[in-house]
Amino acid sequence: MDRRIVITGIGVVTPIGIGCEMFWNNLLAGQSGIAPVQSFDTSEYNVHRGAEVKEFNAEDYILNLDAAHLGRASQFAIAAARLALADAGVEIGSLDRKRAGVSMGTTSGEPREVERFDDAYVSKKLDRIGPEFIQLYPCHVIAAHVASELQFAGVNTMIPTACAAGNYAIAHALDVMRAGRADLMLAGGSDAFSRITFTGFARLGAVAPEICQPFDRFRKGMIPGEGAGVLVLEPLDRARRRGARIYAEVAGYGLSCDAHHMTAAHPEGAGAERAMRQALADSRTNCEDVSYISAHGTGTATNDRLETIAVKRLFKDEAYRIPISSIKSMLGHTMGAASAIEAAVCALAVFSNRIPPTINLNDPDPECDLDYVANSARELPVNIAMNNAYAFGGNNASLILRKRELLN
Amino acid sequence: MITGAGVISPLGDSPARLHDSLGRGLSAIKPIKLFSTEGLGCPLGGEIADFDATKYLGQRNLRPLDRTSRLVASAAQLALADSGWSIEMRNVQEIGLVLGTMFCSLHTISEFDRRALEAGPAYASPMDFSNTVINAAAGQTAIAHNLRDVNTTISTGVTSGLEAISYATELIRSGRARALLAGGADELCFESFYGFDRAGLLCRSNVTAGDFPIPFDSRRNGSALGEGAALLMLEDVALARERGAKILGEVVGHGSSYDCSRGQDSVQAVEAIASAIRHAMSDAFLLPHEIDCLSASANGSRGGDQHEAEGVVAGLNGQTQKLPVTAIKSMLGETLGASGPMQAVSLLETMRDGVLPGIPQLHQVEDDFPLTMARSKNQEADVINGLINSIGFDGHCCSLILSRGEEN
Amino acid sequence: MSTEEIRTKVKKSIVKIANINFDDIPDNASYKDDLQLDSLTILEIAVDAEYQFQVKLSDDDLGVLRTVDDTVRMVQQYLSPVMAA
Repeated sequence: MDRRIVITGIGVVTPIGIGCEMFWNNLLAGQSGIAPVQSFDTSEYNVHRGAEVKEFNAEDYILNLDAAHLGRASQFAIAAARLALADAGVEIGSLDRKRAGVSMGTTSGEPREVERFDDAYVSKKLDRIGPEFIQLYPCHVIAAHVASELQFAGVNTMIPTACAAGNYAIAHALDVMRAGRADLMLAGGSDAFSRITFTGFARLGAVAPEICQPFDRFRKGMIPGEGAGVLVLEPLDRARRRGARIYAEVAGYGLSCDAHHMTAAHPEGAGAERAMRQALADSRTNCEDVSYISAHGTGTATNDRLETIAVKRLFKDEAYRIPISSIKSMLGHTMGAASAIEAAVCALAVFSNRIPPTINLNDPDPECDLDYVANSARELPVNIAMNNAYAFGGNNASLILRKRELLN
Repeated sequence: MITGAGVISPLGDSPARLHDSLGRGLSAIKPIKLFSTEGLGCPLGGEIADFDATKYLGQRNLRPLDRTSRLVASAAQLALADSGWSIEMRNVQEIGLVLGTMFCSLHTISEFDRRALEAGPAYASPMDFSNTVINAAAGQTAIAHNLRDVNTTISTGVTSGLEAISYATELIRSGRARALLAGGADELCFESFYGFDRAGLLCRSNVTAGDFPIPFDSRRNGSALGEGAALLMLEDVALARERGAKILGEVVGHGSSYDCSRGQDSVQAVEAIASAIRHAMSDAFLLPHEIDCLSASANGSRGGDQHEAEGVVAGLNGQTQKLPVTAIKSMLGETLGASGPMQAVSLLETMRDGVLPGIPQLHQVEDDFPLTMARSKNQEADVINGLINSIGFDGHCCSLILSRGEEN
Repeated sequence: MSTEEIRTKVKKSIVKIANINFDDIPDNASYKDDLQLDSLTILEIAVDAEYQFQVKLSDDDLGVLRTVDDTVRMVQQYLSPVMAA
């Protein structure tokens, strides 16, 4: 069983475009998807902006299941899955469906279902909520619906590790394939815009009023978003045999837990550093070999500062050489989808030798003095990319993607 | 290697007490006191009466932890104590946690949302928000017990806990971790209870406490919901031997698959169950006749129980006439994320004392019911290898095989 | 409402949320140093105080509450009629 696992397809549903090509072009152009929130009334809040997906027509992508009977996160996930498979040139009909699996991550699952429940509850009309609630709400339905739509009967996992979920899901898919338990895995994350999430982050004082400006001295916080990212993972030998385009190898990962605080990272970035260190060791990568880092970079005062500390502690002098960008500056924080979309970005970076910018970075915080690729995309050789993600509950995950030419 | 276990259940807060209760045919299914069931079809559930986490966690401030987090943190305390992991040892070797849960806390999510709806978003509770993410209980438990190694949450419905044990097993096999708490939890709460009730999955009225659910019985007409937490301490064999830990047993095989029809098509459902069993058998390098007992997932569901029975026969190549079968959800109810791990804890006890709990009230089965050794009374069973199934309401299937510890 | 009444209510929030005995809370206790509370607990206490007194503090004002006295003073400020500077 070939233990070298590669990415052959990318599908994304994002606030700046649906589908890999549109998304990548807009990302490199520094386009922002942040705008006034449309999906619910924010007049009672102090903040009013979010990164919602525009012009998403679920019926275009959902061909077997009934889109009207799926929650939004499931719709995004199926769309991203189909886009990824098309991008990979995979003939779904020719797959051994028992060896095709799905590994997804999320933060909220299908929040609109529980919001609907709560609306009915407070207006004392709970009988409006019928049998579909338990079928549509629990977060595992996202991975389940993808599998049902595509008839993938293999491994099916949902890893809801919040803002780091995408990385966890991709790491798990990597392990499943290395153990020989699947020939093809769809791996990624999905989250729908959520009143609950918006309320919570607003209540924590973590939401920026206008823009997301990671690493900037005047950064005011994160901007909640939504979306999905799905990668097609295959063993290298199968990908080569069918002449697939290979974006990158999934070379390794590291996981750790802060065990410190539910919503704030360890004050010295210790957990983040451990996850990165493990990812390097796991993929046998040295600090000087890392070409690019996709940061967690939410734009909050603490995250960006602690993330900088963690990168410096691990990479030492190399930290000043490695370009680091936060695409949350453009996409906002797409929650469980974030690190999946960011992994896609790392794959595209490795494939095309181009990296996206961190936009809105006009006055860097002196404590964030690394090269954060301010405002303009850049061309440079990208051999090895690292993708970092940190979540509530102290869940940290780092993923390493490697250029296919480096595969022996 | 399994070196310890912790369980919080309505039938006992230690493996021995739980096993003793099951052996005496005691039922946890009683009128629910935790919330009002007025207007619902089913008034009964497997509630942990008067659950007091301070008994296990001491006098620390538990306000930040909701019920689910308290269940998990308490079970973790018991598992750490049972496996002999002192604080000194844990300064040298980090321990991680892999938790399976279907909902984590739907109650907290709803309460948070409802307070914001009723009082306005400015008065939403920040502390509750930190518990609205599905990895919250795992995060809280890591903080409570300083668990800084891998921390993952798996959410695949009923199979969550068994999938978590499988995930942890793979991490240890691959050398990524050496010691992990692995298992699952779910709480009883109005919101999820309502959902199951409305979906017609719970037994209707006209039944009295203790009379249902009756897995496999021809009169069965639904499940009962329960709650609890169960965690196993898994370690690599070298570490267990190094520290002279007692070995309760070993996870020798696991397998999972997905029923794309989500339970609607019997042929696909049966095949998915059989697939999961076959994967577990081949992972364990065992043949059907080497399986000494089955701990079934059957919970009183009309379709599900029959699918499982047929799936087991198919998965074990028809060699089931002499296979003793138990179904402990008959007494605990359907504990969702906790269910598979509870079955594991009970199976380890059976391996120790040779007693396989009966299925109370199992008096009549359909003519073609194939599992002839599913009995209402306890059976004597010399179990070296035991098979555990977890089968979801809507597609997920997971099987685990445990082998007896050497000392037994 | 008198200062003492406000202080009592604030302390009761601390009792409820941080599980500390009422009588063990000095009048001018510092949340972090004296009571060893983390940031989430401190915020929860502040929001609970807002809820009890039906006031809405700005994010900036929320950020400077370091002691019980800070909270009492801030609540008083929000409760009394505004005197334009």
